[in-house]
Amino acid sequence: MSESLDDVDDDARLPRRIDWGLWRRLLVHVRPHLRVVLGLVTCGIALAMIDIGFPLLTRTVIDAITASERPDVDAVRWVAWAWGGAVLAFGALIWALIVLAGRLASSVSHDLRRAGFARLQELSFSYFDRRPVGWLVSRLTSDCDRIANLLPWFSLDLVWGPSLALGIAVAMLTIDAKLALVVLLIVPPLVLVSLVFQRRMLQSSRLLRRANSRITASIGEAVMGVRTTKSFAREAAALEEFSGLVDESRMHALRNAIQGAVFLPIVSTLGAIGVGLALWQGGVRIDGDLSLGTLVAFMQFAALFHSPIEDVARRLADLQGAQAAAERVQGLLDTAPEIGDAPQVLDAIARAKADGGAVIDGGRRDIAEVEFRGVWFAYGDGPWVLRGVDLHAARGQTIALVGETGGGKTTVVSLLARFYEPTRGEILLDGVEQRARSLEWLQSSIGVVLQTPHLFSGTILENIRYGRDGATDDEVTAAARLAHADEFITRLPEGYTTAVGEGGARLSTGQRQLVALARAILADPQILILDEATSSVDTETEALIQAGIARVLAGRIAFVVAHRLSTIRAADRILVVDDGRIVESGTHDELVGRGGHYARLHRRNFATALA
Amino acid sequence: MPSVLPALRLILRGQLPRFAAAVLALLGASCLMYLAPLIWQVVLDGVLAPQGDAPAWIDAVVADAGGRAYLRDQLWLPAGLFVVMLAAAGLLTHLRGRLAARASEDAIAALRRRLYDHLQHLPVAYFDGAETGDLVQRCTADVERVRLFLESHVPEIGHALVMFAVPLPVMFLLDPTMTLVAVALVPPIVAFSVVFFVRTQPHFVAVDEAEGKLTATLQENLTGIRVVRAFARQAHERERFGRTNAVLRDATAGVFRLLAVYWSSSDILCVTQRGIVLGYGIVRVAEGTLGVGALLYFVTAVSLFVFPLRMMGRILADFGKTRVAIGRLGDVLDAPLESAPTSPAAPVAARGALVFDRVSFAYGDGPRALDEVSLEIPAGTTLAIVGASGSGKSTLVELLLRLRDPQSGTIRLDGVDLATIARKEVRRQITTVLQEPFLFSRSVIDNLRLGRPDASLDEVVATAQIARVHTAITGFAAGYDTAVGERGVTLSGGQRQRVALARALLRERAVLVLDDALSAVDTETEAQILAALEARRGRGTTILIAHRLTTVARADRIVVLEQGRVLEHGTHAELVAAGGRYARGWALQHHDPTPAAPLAAPSEAS
Repeated sequence: MSESLDDVDDDARLPRRIDWGLWRRLLVHVRPHLRVVLGLVTCGIALAMIDIGFPLLTRTVIDAITASERPDVDAVRWVAWAWGGAVLAFGALIWALIVLAGRLASSVSHDLRRAGFARLQELSFSYFDRRPVGWLVSRLTSDCDRIANLLPWFSLDLVWGPSLALGIAVAMLTIDAKLALVVLLIVPPLVLVSLVFQRRMLQSSRLLRRANSRITASIGEAVMGVRTTKSFAREAAALEEFSGLVDESRMHALRNAIQGAVFLPIVSTLGAIGVGLALWQGGVRIDGDLSLGTLVAFMQFAALFHSPIEDVARRLADLQGAQAAAERVQGLLDTAPEIGDAPQVLDAIARAKADGGAVIDGGRRDIAEVEFRGVWFAYGDGPWVLRGVDLHAARGQTIALVGETGGGKTTVVSLLARFYEPTRGEILLDGVEQRARSLEWLQSSIGVVLQTPHLFSGTILENIRYGRDGATDDEVTAAARLAHADEFITRLPEGYTTAVGEGGARLSTGQRQLVALARAILADPQILILDEATSSVDTETEALIQAGIARVLAGRIAFVVAHRLSTIRAADRILVVDDGRIVESGTHDELVGRGGHYARLHRRNFATALA
Repeated sequence: MPSVLPALRLILRGQLPRFAAAVLALLGASCLMYLAPLIWQVVLDGVLAPQGDAPAWIDAVVADAGGRAYLRDQLWLPAGLFVVMLAAAGLLTHLRGRLAARASEDAIAALRRRLYDHLQHLPVAYFDGAETGDLVQRCTADVERVRLFLESHVPEIGHALVMFAVPLPVMFLLDPTMTLVAVALVPPIVAFSVVFFVRTQPHFVAVDEAEGKLTATLQENLTGIRVVRAFARQAHERERFGRTNAVLRDATAGVFRLLAVYWSSSDILCVTQRGIVLGYGIVRVAEGTLGVGALLYFVTAVSLFVFPLRMMGRILADFGKTRVAIGRLGDVLDAPLESAPTSPAAPVAARGALVFDRVSFAYGDGPRALDEVSLEIPAGTTLAIVGASGSGKSTLVELLLRLRDPQSGTIRLDGVDLATIARKEVRRQITTVLQEPFLFSRSVIDNLRLGRPDASLDEVVATAQIARVHTAITGFAAGYDTAVGERGVTLSGGQRQRVALARALLRERAVLVLDDALSAVDTETEAQILAALEARRGRGTTILIAHRLTTVARADRIVVLEQGRVLEHGTHAELVAAGGRYARGWALQHHDPTPAAPLAAPSEAS
């Protein structure tokens, strides 16, 4: 399973052969619905029998009335009843197989999505770093649907098609082997043409889909980037680029349509040749050993032959077409989370559950101190981001991390929250190695406010409450007040029940930061991490937050990442992070006095102001 | 929906001849398809059946073709003719497909280009109101629906109607009573189909909605995955997703159950129609008033026309959706474009002197975002604007770029009223870095060259160095060719801002506007960038909008905006000395009750 994003474009390439092993593994998701599959298969066989029955009934009735001077009334009556029964059975079968197919498709797709979603909730951040959200969404929507929709029709047609084709052949051979062999001459070309064209049409429809998704992306960019396009006055150039995409899409759409317009006439002409052959070779013998009814039945059989062959060819092509989707979904399900509870921790959780302990893994609930010991870290195979970080923080302390962008400040707090794990070195919580505690306990003990805070669509109230399910309205407003979010919220026409829109889009970045801060405060975490949490809040509001937050930080360990010196000054200790190392540590005054990195940072800030 | 017809006419412009030709091909093909089975009839009734039973016209045809005995020996002749006719029908079907595909694809391509061009020239205010997702939806899903309509629905309806209409005269000539029997169930089949799909439409809509909801839930979860983890809310999220997932499953299975009822009943109806023809026909054959060939012809004809007819309901039900789609596209295309001056002033090579003269602006019916703002920015100087969010800073920039037009007052560039200059011309004189810069998903270098496609690599690199982003770019595996955006690397906020800055600087315009453009860049890097930008002093005008007061302190003049009005203005030293809002902010950001005395006199290069 390749981990690269190259498979984004896989849709355009068709695999040369069907990977049956892959599909067998996906069958695990079908097993719970085995009875539905068996029902479908039964329906398929029965339906094929009825399809064969109609021409045979036609033959019987025609022979009954033409074979002798006096029509065989009994036979006609018998056929009429049989016909009626077959029609009803046919309707019932169609009903049953669509219901069954619907149940199978919707259930399998549901199960795949559930499994995929559960897996996504466990996977490490490094997995998400490499994959755009839109790409992941498509895995659980279009890919799952593709696989799930394929399965019922595949299992149905793969039974119905061969049964029908075989049934027709057997029926014809039994009735008249010589004429049958003549009519069956059209089968090889039908199979060949169907296989070739279904594959080609699939190929061009994928290219079309890819071209169309590019068009969608381009229109998305045009809308989102409308200010940029306008302010650079590059409307004409943009239109020209878009035009290229439109031409590409048009070309593939035309190719696909024309392939269809070639394929269908060829198939119908082959069918016509079969009928013509029957008419010619059968007609010659009509006064001899061949009845009129048989001739008519053979003509009908010849016309019927193409549809099972065409369907099987289409399903096989579909299977090839869905293979990339199947690989991606299976790949997601197979990806093991890089970060998770170790077996010992899982044992501890099981024991704690049996004992009914208050803490999930039976360890300490609160965190009095954290320590980094020689922590080194790199993202994947990338360069070192942290090179031997040592730090210590105790309850009640606020630690500020300052330094240049890319120096490693955010990485330090991400490791603390175990969003990533150190490549070397260890992180201790009250002297216990981080990995020896439950991940869920740790992450629910830490509150993080990020620079670009994400809100969920829903009301402000719901978003703040996300920090602690079951918090009362009063608790929510209290947290909002501490974050100084209450002021702007109450000024909104709908107050706390204001819908924030997708991703919080209806609030300004500053307002979103305040809500996110309130959310973290409500969670009442042992460790609070503010990563540039108030960068978009104006200076005065930030000063107010600073005043209020002192109460929030009391009794916790706090880490603050900030650019603004005014935010940092209130910290108990300032760590200057540069190039993956902590180069200085101390209070504001100590560090300014030391005349090192921090002093330079500070002086520059000031000198700029006074030039 | 009044805008549907004009919009449809616009979409189809120029393609009607091809559609007409496609209809002709369809008619031809269907005539051949119904004539071909007549050959069976002639052979079965006129050649193979005992003499004397066949109608007179068949005997005439047989006689013309060389007589019974001859045809009996040369049966390959009618069989071959049958194949040739169907092959010709196939050829015409192919032509019809090709023509219809060309016509609709060309119409769709033209529609897409028109929409895109229109979008780009809509005023910025349009994008405030329209949810971007909805707009993208219109330009993609709605266009796709129109495409489906043109390329599949119209031909299918045409096919169904032609296939039904063409054999009627032939059948009527053959046997009027049989014909009536053969179409007896057509009205109920069509009516059932239409009623069914119209009435079950809400269920299909419910599936679409459930699907949309599921995608939205998923998208939100994944976008906020860091928040989910940070609050350890996986169980809650699984439960939330589980609910929407189950709703979608049940809605989908429900639609399948409905379809099962539909297809089974309509199949029964169609097969019954065939059975009725066969049954009545047998009676007639037994009576000796109908040949076996004629019976076979009727059975074949019924099979040819009855099945396409039941698609009518599905397609007619979809017409509603198509009409909505066309209407919505019409709305976009009808939205008025940015106004253009009647006689635009000649393009100027601006020096960059800017004047805002009592400029007022309000969003919609809201309060004034700018209230009688007057500013003067001499060419070559730097003006800094500070103020709380919502004070009107960004509005000022949008007015300057003529992304919006002031309700009163004028903005002049080198003494010329902007309203008299074409918008594009205004934007060519000014280069901007917006607060949340937008990078296109393509390579870094293509993004940088956006404003000047012909810039040499050296120029690009030099500019990237000024914007302090060169090192970051060369740090990527593919350097300047690294793709950014959805498919490429994710740049940090600071990197994005610096790329946007380099992109703007590369354009080298008389006026540079930085709208809180360095907010995500750390102070040290920002200081270096601002120092490098000092080189512009005297050459170009700079408008610098910022939150951090340290960023603006070196500007020639500083304006403090509050609720759309100029609250304070002056040099840094003046404002600090004045002890107003600016001085308070300065003290807050620096925790010094009194700012230290300037080391040197502030340069006042205005």
